[in-house]
This record gives sequence, C-alpha cells and structure tokens, in this order.
Amino acid sequence: MRPVKHTYLWLLAAFVFSVIYLFPLYWMYITAIKSPSEIFASPPTFWPNDPDLSIYPDVWEAREVPRYMWNSLVIAFGATGLTVVFGTGCAYVLARYRNIWVDVGLFLVLMLQVLPASVMVTPLFVGFNQIGLLGWPRTAVVLGVAAKSMPFFVVLVRAAFMTIPRELEEAGLVDGNSRIGAFIWIVLPMARNAILVCALLIFMQAFGEYIYSASIIQDQKLAPASVGLKTFLGPNSKDWNAIMAYSAMYVTPILAIFILLQRRIVAGLTAGALK
Amino acid sequence: MKLNMILGTVAGLSVSLGALMAHAQTTLTIWGLDGDNNLIGTLAAEFDAANDDIVVDFRAIAFDELVPEALKAVATGNAPDIICLDNPDFAMFSSRGAMLDITEMVAASDIIDTSVYYEGPLASAMWDGKLYGVPKATNTIALFYNKDLLDAAGVTPPQTWDELLEAARALNDPENNVYGLTWSAKGNEEGTFQFLPWIQMSGGSFEEVNGPGAVKALELWKTILDEKLASQDVLSQGQWDSTGTFNAGNAAMAISGPWELNRMAADATFDWGVTLLPTEVAGGQRSSAMGDFNWGIFATTEHPEEAFEAIEFFVAQSDRLFPEFANIPPRSDIALPSTGDARKDEALAVFVEQLKYAQPRGPHPDWAKISKAIYDAMQSAMTGQASAQDALDTAQASIDAVLGN
Amino acid sequence: MKRLFISISDGKGFDILLVGLAMFFLLALAGIPLLYNVLMSFQEVDMFTLGSFIRPWAGLDNYRYIFAQPEFWLVMKNTALFVFCSMAGQFVLGFGLAIFFQQNFWGASTIRGLFLVSWVMPGLVVGGIWSFILAGDYGVLNAILEGLGIIDEPVFWKSDPDLAIWAVIIANIWLGLAFNMLLLSVGLAAIPRDLYEAAELDGATAWQRFRTITLPMMRSTIGAVLALGLIGTLQQFDLFPAMTEGGPANTSSVTQYWAWQMSFKQYDFARGATISMLMLVFVFMAAIVYVRSTRGEVRG
Repeated sequence: MRPVKHTYLWLLAAFVFSVIYLFPLYWMYITAIKSPSEIFASPPTFWPNDPDLSIYPDVWEAREVPRYMWNSLVIAFGATGLTVVFGTGCAYVLARYRNIWVDVGLFLVLMLQVLPASVMVTPLFVGFNQIGLLGWPRTAVVLGVAAKSMPFFVVLVRAAFMTIPRELEEAGLVDGNSRIGAFIWIVLPMARNAILVCALLIFMQAFGEYIYSASIIQDQKLAPASVGLKTFLGPNSKDWNAIMAYSAMYVTPILAIFILLQRRIVAGLTAGALK
Repeated sequence: MKLNMILGTVAGLSVSLGALMAHAQTTLTIWGLDGDNNLIGTLAAEFDAANDDIVVDFRAIAFDELVPEALKAVATGNAPDIICLDNPDFAMFSSRGAMLDITEMVAASDIIDTSVYYEGPLASAMWDGKLYGVPKATNTIALFYNKDLLDAAGVTPPQTWDELLEAARALNDPENNVYGLTWSAKGNEEGTFQFLPWIQMSGGSFEEVNGPGAVKALELWKTILDEKLASQDVLSQGQWDSTGTFNAGNAAMAISGPWELNRMAADATFDWGVTLLPTEVAGGQRSSAMGDFNWGIFATTEHPEEAFEAIEFFVAQSDRLFPEFANIPPRSDIALPSTGDARKDEALAVFVEQLKYAQPRGPHPDWAKISKAIYDAMQSAMTGQASAQDALDTAQASIDAVLGN
Repeated sequence: MKRLFISISDGKGFDILLVGLAMFFLLALAGIPLLYNVLMSFQEVDMFTLGSFIRPWAGLDNYRYIFAQPEFWLVMKNTALFVFCSMAGQFVLGFGLAIFFQQNFWGASTIRGLFLVSWVMPGLVVGGIWSFILAGDYGVLNAILEGLGIIDEPVFWKSDPDLAIWAVIIANIWLGLAFNMLLLSVGLAAIPRDLYEAAELDGATAWQRFRTITLPMMRSTIGAVLALGLIGTLQQFDLFPAMTEGGPANTSSVTQYWAWQMSFKQYDFARGATISMLMLVFVFMAAIVYVRSTRGEVRG
C-alpha cells in the first residue's frame, strides 16, 4: 500500500487523538501520587503539588502484588486455553455450513451469553459446590470465565473462517487429507492471526476478571489481582491512591506487552497476510 | 497492665484447654473486611498464634461482597464459624436463625460484660430480646468545620438547622471555589446513614419517615442544594469523596465521621474543629447515625466454644482498637488515649459525646429495603422530581409494606 | 465402532464432535445458570433456599412486583438509551479510528496499540477515573471546558438527573472504543487492496469506495462487532457503582445495575433474577439481527 501524503500531518493527528484518548490513563498515574485530599481539590491540579511516589512500593509490599498477579496469570492462561480449544472447532463448523442448524447454533451461542456475570455467579457457585469443584477454586473460575468468553471467541473467529476460501480446504481433501488433517494443516494456519488476536483479547479480559473470582476463590492465596484491588474500598473510606497505584502496576506491564504484540499481529494483517 | 492480665488469662485458659484436647486441632474460619489497618486479620492471626490447638483461617472480603458471600455460604452450607458484619445487615441473619444465640454464653463470660456497651451498638446485635453478636467497634457522624473560614466570616459553629443554613449562606464563596457545606446524599446506604439522623432528630424513626420534621429536614437539604450552598455532586459522591473536598478547602463545613480524622489531620492546611450535629431547634432532640460492625457466630458452627473464645479474645483487645486501628470501642469504660494531636483529641471528645445519641439502623431483617425507600425519597425530592412531602409519603408507603403494617 | 471412528475423523461426525464439545460446555456452564435464573424468577427465595432448585412457587408475582416499581419505565428507557448511544458512539468513533490508522503513515500501528489501554484497565478503575474527570467541581473535564470558554458554570455530569446517564455513556464509549477499533481494523485489513485501486482508477470518490467496497466487504465483521457490542454493553456493569450508583433518583439506572442492586443490595435474589430476565428481550433481538446478518454472507 502506498504511503499517504503529508505523513507528518497524519502523525500529528494521531498524536492528538491519542493524547485525548489516553488522558484517563494519565489521570490514573497522577491520582496515585497526589495527596488523598488533593484528588478532590477544585480547580483540579494537572500535576501533583507534592508528588508522593512512596505509594507504589507501599502498595507493592502491603498487597503482595506478585502473588496476586501470578494467580491472575494462571486464571487468564487457563481460561484462554480452554476457550481457544473448544471455541476454534465450534467456530470452524459454524462457518463451514449454511443451514438451519447453524442458525440455531449461532443463536444459542449468543443467547447463552445473555446474563451479566453478577447474576450468573450465584448459580455457578451453587453448582460448583454441588460437584465439589469449590475445592479447586482456580479451576472453577477458569471454567466459568471460559464459558463467558466462548461466545465472543466463536463469533469473531467464525467471521475469520468465513474469509478463508473454501476451495483451499477442498483441494486439501482431494490431496488425500482427512477432515482432521485438512482442518489442522490447511484451515487453522490461515486463521492463525485472527485466533491469536481474539485469544489475546480474551486473555486480557480474563486477567481482570473479578466477579467469579471474588465469589468462588475463598483462599486469599489463590485470589487474582482484581480481587486485591477491591479491598481498598471500605464502608466509609476509599483509598484512591492505593487503588490507582495498584492498578497502574497491573495495567502498565500488560499494556506494554500488548502494544508490542499487537504491532506484529495487526501489522501482519494489514500487510495482507490473509489474502 | 490490665490488657496483659486479660491476655494472660486468655492464653492460660487456651493452653490448658489445648493440653486437655491433646492433638485435637480445631479450625475456625473467620470472615471479615481487611480495612482499618487490617484489624480483623491482625486479631485473627494473634488468636491463632495464642492457641496451639486452634488454627484460624481468615478470609478478607470486600465490603460490597460481604453479605452476598455470607448469604451464599448459608445457602450452600459453607458458612464460616465467625463473621464480622456491618450492623444494619446483622438482623437479616440473626432474625432468621442463621446466627448462634450467645445470650447465655455472654452472661456466663468473665470477659464480655454487656452493661458497659453503648445501647445503640448492642441493640443492633439483638433480635427478639436475645443477643446474637458483640459489637466490634462503633462510629457516628458530626459536623466538621473549617475554623479559619468561620473566623473570617465571623460565624460560630451552627447548633440548629436554621443556624446551619445561615452559616452555609455566610460561608459560601463561589469566587474562591468554596461551598458552605458538604455531605453525602448519595443514592445508597451512605445516603440513608446521613439522612436518617435528621428524621430522628425531628421525632421520627425509620418506621415513621414522613412527619413534619422530616419534611422540614428534606426541604432544608433541598434549599441548600438549590441555593448552590453545596455542590450538586453531594447527590453522587460518598462521604469519603465529599469530605475530601472539605479537606482540600473547597467546603467550609462537612458532615462526616471519625474515620476521617487521620486523613484530615495529615492533609488539611487549615485549622478545623467538630461540633455535634445541629438539632431542629435549640436544645432539641439529638440523634446521630451509628456505624461499624458486629461479631457473630453462625449457628451451623461445629465449634461454638472455640468460636466464642475467639470473640472473647477480640473483645479483650478493646483498648487497642483506637491506638492501633483507629476504631472507637463500642463501650463507655475505655477512655481514648491522647493521639498527640490536640485537634484530633478535641474532635474525638465530640464524637464520643455524639455517640450517646447514635441510633442503630433497624435492626430489621429487611433493612436494605427500608433504606432504599429512604434514599430514593431523599434523592427524588432533592432533584425536584417530587415535593419533600410526596417523596417521604411514597417512602412511608414502601416502608409500611416492608414492615407489614 | 470403526464407522463411528471414521465418521469422527473424516465425516459429519467430525463436525458434530467439534460443535458438540463446545455446546456441551456452554450448556453446562452458561445454560444451567440461565435456567436457574429463569426458574428463580417464578419462585420465592430466601437465604436458606438459595442453593436449591425446588422452592415455593411464586407464579408471576415477581414480575408483577417489578412492573409495578415506580422506576421500571425509567430503567427501561435508560437501558435503551445507554445501549443505543454507547454502541453508536463506540462503533462510529471506532470505525473512524480504524480507517484513520489503516492509512500507511509512520507510527500508525504503534499508536493504534496505545488505544487498547481501555481493554486492559480494570472496570473499577475506569469508573473511578471517569468519576473524577466528570465531577462538577474538581472534575478535569469542566476545568478544560471552562478554560476553553465553552461553559461558564460547572456542569454536574454525574448529579444532574438529565445528564447522569450521559456521564456513564461517555465513559462506556471510551471503554468500548478499543474493542470496536481493533476488530474493525482486522476486518478492514482483510479487504484486498486491488479492489480500491481499481475503483480509484474508475474515478470513484472516497465516499463511493467506502459505500461500495468497504461496507459490503465488512458485512460479517460489522455483524459480529455489533452483536458482541450489544452484549458487552448490556453487561457493562462496573461503571455504574463506581460513577453514579444508578442515581440521582434512579435517573442513570439500567437493567443490569438494577438486577444487581436487587440481588446484592436488597438481597432479593428472585426479583434480581426477574429483572435479568427482562434483558433476555434485548439480547433476543440482538441474536436475531446477528443471525440474519450472517445470512447474506459470502464465503471467501
């Protein structure tokens, strides 16, 4: 694709857009280091009068952030893995045919997503309790989160499978591949990018999942970072400095990784990897 | 000294118990908040350390999740042995038989003496004449004021509703981003916590919210808002955020509680004081809200003795509540030690005085519904969707339905 | 047995197995909870029966109660407004940004990556930050607008009954923009460049190219993005407790928040479930629209 003319003007516009869009992120970083009352000063201060960076090490130590982060990672990996394994095949089949059963399947996939997590958590808790899964709380959360992400994954990956020419798969079958072989060796590699992007999106949502974890994981040592975050809110007090510092610690690394990865993935797509 | 003796007694008692039971290890699960410098977690860990035969399993739960978690646990038979619940939520559990009746145990206890407790906190742990819990701590609200601004305007701390309005008018200074007053009229429990005392000061109660005094109070709140003597954001901000604007110097008076003292002492660049909540008329009836949590034992516990022992241990630490955890003990026999900050000490004296008038919310099993009726009425009147009288009449109808009148 | 094995590895059985696994998983972990809620909306529930399926039958009482609530129509209206405006904002801005970053200029893909920040931030924090930004007095949006001379009086975004729902919508557009932009970017990237070049040679204007090439080629992506956007918007919950708690006077309450409030603040689980059933109607419509949008798809 040809480079646009006036590339600096575009860059300038992009810069302005991102400054506006990233402003809340900036506000998160500086709210953390304002004094607890300066947060509420009118007119607001765009830079803290007396920045207090000690909030970061304090929160890091008081909340055992690494342990929380590790649990978040475990849950996010588990849920993403499960979703990709179950969802990819389902999306592939729903893209391959065009009949009433596919309509029913798609309809079900969406309808099963109808209830917000806050309403789903009670029956899930009850169910997990009955089959004894509460003893493996992180596994239970992984199952719940995977079910929650599945429709999202299926719908998006199905759209990606739709763009793969059917002739390619048929040619593979003629060449002597079985259905499984054609799926694994021909169709999957072509949808790789889309699957990766969706998996990444699901990973990040699962990383921050709160409602299921808060309810199902009773042992503090197994709780993810999102649950740790909520403990700064008391009946009469809200430790905004700690909330913002804690969230900065958890957002920054994951955002950095994402920027690096998305550059490769979406750039790969933009270069026309699909066609 | 006294503390050490009590500690010694408790430890001695549990050591001998432990020797008797040999290796029989008992696990006690305790659920509570982890706020207040981790008060509950710290005490739970200490109890664990002090008892070889008891293992304490403490789970910290966010404030919002505490009751839903407890409800789910009761429903599925996973209830902990001990829980620390916000006082208005307590009756929901005690009235349904979910909590252990500890009336007899407390009567026989050498450590817990109900006669020294304030009436309000104790009442919140009672149901139908029986005691189901022990207050952990207590708190209330009063009127903070910015001494510098009051002196500059020649205003004395208001003692009646009319004086409050006059003071707010005199102190209001939009040029310098200063409102006369701030408080929380949020559409949640905090809003009820702040408004119910006004109903009670005028002779009403949670069972009767539409008396002329309550209407007058709500009209006063609306006037303050309409005349822009307070930020309209009192409708959407909680007490912590609202008092934050006071600390930042953007409001001359604030209605809030003692949990605020440490932040205010550290942040406020002006001199401040606290006075009792203004009454309807001079020398009129006083009232205030009552906050904080109650300890309780779930009826399903397999270790009632050990659980009660744990609560006795917590109660025995009452004199540490304030110095270490900034909690006010719910009893009159423990003097608060000096904080080393004269403003804080003065403020605490006012709060302790105000506590005498603090009334529990309820106790009622359906408190949350009563509370919603009250804050809904307050908000619909303050946003001009209904007159104060109509809004409170609607609330009264909802409350009557809940009370079954 | 052998035939079954062959069918699974090389025939219809393969398809059925793939869909069946996912469906079984979904039905168990989403279907049963859904059923539990449907059932509960017709029952009386208290703290001791929360864990069982068999409970006193309440018939339509819960529904009557919910319909009779004074805030019922307000909440429905707010939900419709919230869903429609959030989605419209997210989609239009997301599409615009996707097209913008589709242009080949230096740094485009890195800067686009920065926009994904909203997808990573925890909901509680997003709500908290927007609550600060939109505050009337200490809010930075008012400070900027006043500085630019657009307003002279503070606007109470969160506390003005006419504006509160808009405060949440603004925050939600910010939150959902990343998702819309990324997926639409992927869709845009899949359109063959030569189509545009051919059209340009034919003298088509940018708008004509957008209408005749971009939109039709993106049909399935747009269908998917809108369907998921609707579900995501209906499930957007974190912003409400952090910003307005549905107030003032329920003017910013929506179904999902009301359902949560009923279950977890009023501890009335049956009626909370009843309110969540009302959301079925919204998602039902979305599912139909989505399934229909897949009808006209052309396989690549």
